[in-house]
Amino acid sequence: MKKILSLLLASAMSLSLLAGCGGAPQTPAQSSNPPASSSSSQNGSEPSAPAGPIKVAALSSGYIDAYPDMWKEVCQAFTAETGIEVTLTLEKNLEDVIGPSMQGGDYPDVVLLATGREKGLTEQFIKDKLIADITDVLSMTIPGESATVSSKLIPGFVGTNATNPYGDGKTYLAPMFYSPCGLFYNANLLNEKGWTVPTTWDEMWELGDKAKAEGIDLFTYPTTGYFDAFFYALMYSVGGADFFNQATSYAEGVWDTAEGQQCFDIVAKLAEYTAKVTPAQANESDFSQNQQLILDNKALFMPNGTWIVGEMADAPREDGDAFQWGMTALPAAKAGGAGASYAFLEQIWIPSGAQNVDAAKQFVAYMYSDDAADIFLKGGAVQPINGIVDKLEGDNVMFYSIYDNGANAVVGIFSAYASVAGLGTVREVFFDPVNGLVSGNVTKDQWIADIKAASDQMRENLV
Amino acid sequence: MRSKGRSRFIFLCVAPAVILFFLFMVMPTINVFRMSLFERGAYSPTETFVGLNNFKVLFKDTKFITSMQNTILLIVTVTIITFFFAIVFAAILTREKIKGQNFFRIVFYIPNILSIVVIAGIFSAVYKPENGMLNSIFSLFAGREVMVLWKDQPMVIVSIIIAMVWQAIGYYMVMYMASMSAVPASLYESAGLDGAGRVKQFFQLTLPLIWTNIRTTLTFFIISTINMAFLFVKAMVAKGSSDVALSFMYNQKDAGLYGYSMAAGVVIFLFSFLLSALVSKVTEREVLEM
Repeated sequence: MKKILSLLLASAMSLSLLAGCGGAPQTPAQSSNPPASSSSSQNGSEPSAPAGPIKVAALSSGYIDAYPDMWKEVCQAFTAETGIEVTLTLEKNLEDVIGPSMQGGDYPDVVLLATGREKGLTEQFIKDKLIADITDVLSMTIPGESATVSSKLIPGFVGTNATNPYGDGKTYLAPMFYSPCGLFYNANLLNEKGWTVPTTWDEMWELGDKAKAEGIDLFTYPTTGYFDAFFYALMYSVGGADFFNQATSYAEGVWDTAEGQQCFDIVAKLAEYTAKVTPAQANESDFSQNQQLILDNKALFMPNGTWIVGEMADAPREDGDAFQWGMTALPAAKAGGAGASYAFLEQIWIPSGAQNVDAAKQFVAYMYSDDAADIFLKGGAVQPINGIVDKLEGDNVMFYSIYDNGANAVVGIFSAYASVAGLGTVREVFFDPVNGLVSGNVTKDQWIADIKAASDQMRENLV
Repeated sequence: MRSKGRSRFIFLCVAPAVILFFLFMVMPTINVFRMSLFERGAYSPTETFVGLNNFKVLFKDTKFITSMQNTILLIVTVTIITFFFAIVFAAILTREKIKGQNFFRIVFYIPNILSIVVIAGIFSAVYKPENGMLNSIFSLFAGREVMVLWKDQPMVIVSIIIAMVWQAIGYYMVMYMASMSAVPASLYESAGLDGAGRVKQFFQLTLPLIWTNIRTTLTFFIISTINMAFLFVKAMVAKGSSDVALSFMYNQKDAGLYGYSMAAGVVIFLFSFLLSALVSKVTEREVLEM
């Protein structure tokens, strides 16, 4: 009797455990054949509705903290407009949530995930050419409106390698939210001290010396990851559009030019003016303490994005209510030149393995409708749509007017290159060593030599 | 007839575990070895066979060499410090009469049940450069403001060692306490009558009698240090400042080099396997019966 009982128990256990493995999402046969799915609505303007709901995966970023129902409302509005149901995945660690099922061949239909994130999921999709061509979305009519997508987009946002990664005139990633990046500071502190915001780097160093005399450091940064937006703007302000394009495509000898050297000189000099505690706190668990240095009036400037206002809203500040966020573009390289501010762009894209590419394209097009844009604005998320700047409120008015005040808008990213063993990512090669520059255990020459060597390899492996 | 039924019963009892072990341990491990010979992105459906090329590049990759050095440094220092304190504390708590023995036992054990994220948070406060716990204590004794940048070079590895030791001591202490209390008190009594002092008793009686336990835990510890070092580095310090072998492997995956990262996985696998075998060979002693 006992024996039979244990036998039953044992088999029940093994069965129940194995049953767990069978529950994996069923992979549709068509997802193994990506090119077939790129055929868009050729037979008329009414694409056939998908069998089931489309799957939308979006990163839960700072905007969601400001307005948690943002994405839910947009998806509901899309369903009301088109009748296509939407299943929404909204996660802070989106890569960890959708990554494993995508490795198993189960793709979301639409993904909102920018390039430049630590896990580099979007970059990997670009490198492996796993993103659907959505050039035709630009000429699509927005559901519920009569305008086309491209007629509403602010010129300049489509066409860089942030949206057309292969330089072949085809768009693979749609520009979704943009946020000007620049140097953030306590406007009240500068007013009190009678300091003016520097417009050239020479003025910046002067201010740095003045501030140091009062025990305030010129510069800090949350983590080295914030240097990408900084460096893009720096390259543009130093060398203009041509140099920027050459540098982001790793042109031969670009780092030996006067402009290239000047970029390195400025970063290296800035490292000397950086608060010494910065590298010790430039990690995922302590970076907000670096941001706190600005609130505590211990450092003057840090590179950041507009989300900083919401992120540090509850943090204590030395000046109390008098504290006022200020944001400036990067100073000009020489007197009379223009400053530059990088427009950090979050992209929305369709994996080429998606099941409902047509419905997904409609969804992407709908993102540029006035209804969707208004809902996104409630969370402070700003899309590159004509006239959107007039709808802004609060601090955002000042932040987004940065380009009207003479700063060059910088859009674009370092070109994608095929992964090569032993060759690091752009962040590892270019920006992570800044920690070492500040603490003094990496020399400037070593840093530049490493960048040059890596840059050569990156050029050879451009996709 | 009877023995046939019995063996069938044993077979059925063992089968679930064996099947699961094969599916979730052996198969993935074999797959790691296979994938280390290919190159592919984490999400790309295509893979190219590159033979041993991944390994060739790996042994020339200075980042990998540094990360292995960091791993070995952590294994050696964390093991020595943890075992020293765990054994000493266990001996004190079992052999000596101290007030609040249970209290200490719990206090030492608590770090072990905390999640790594919580530990990272605690040590963020401990290591904070301004007004952090450690720097404040040092300032108090030095009489001036001491500003050690714990999470910056060159202190960053020391910070990780301290946190890892803090986290591990309690668990091993409890293990040794269990085996120390199994040593009969009569042995200590007779040793005492023979004129052996406390320290001599510890080295002549306690240590030899719990030696089997130490050997086993040492193997556990080496493997867990390799894993824990990754979690601590990931949660506590800046990326790239003190990479260990597993965080190197993880970063390669994010860079889109799945095969290369698996090659690093193979090296780490063999390394920990060989190290455990070596340790168990070196610590081999004649087992003493009580």
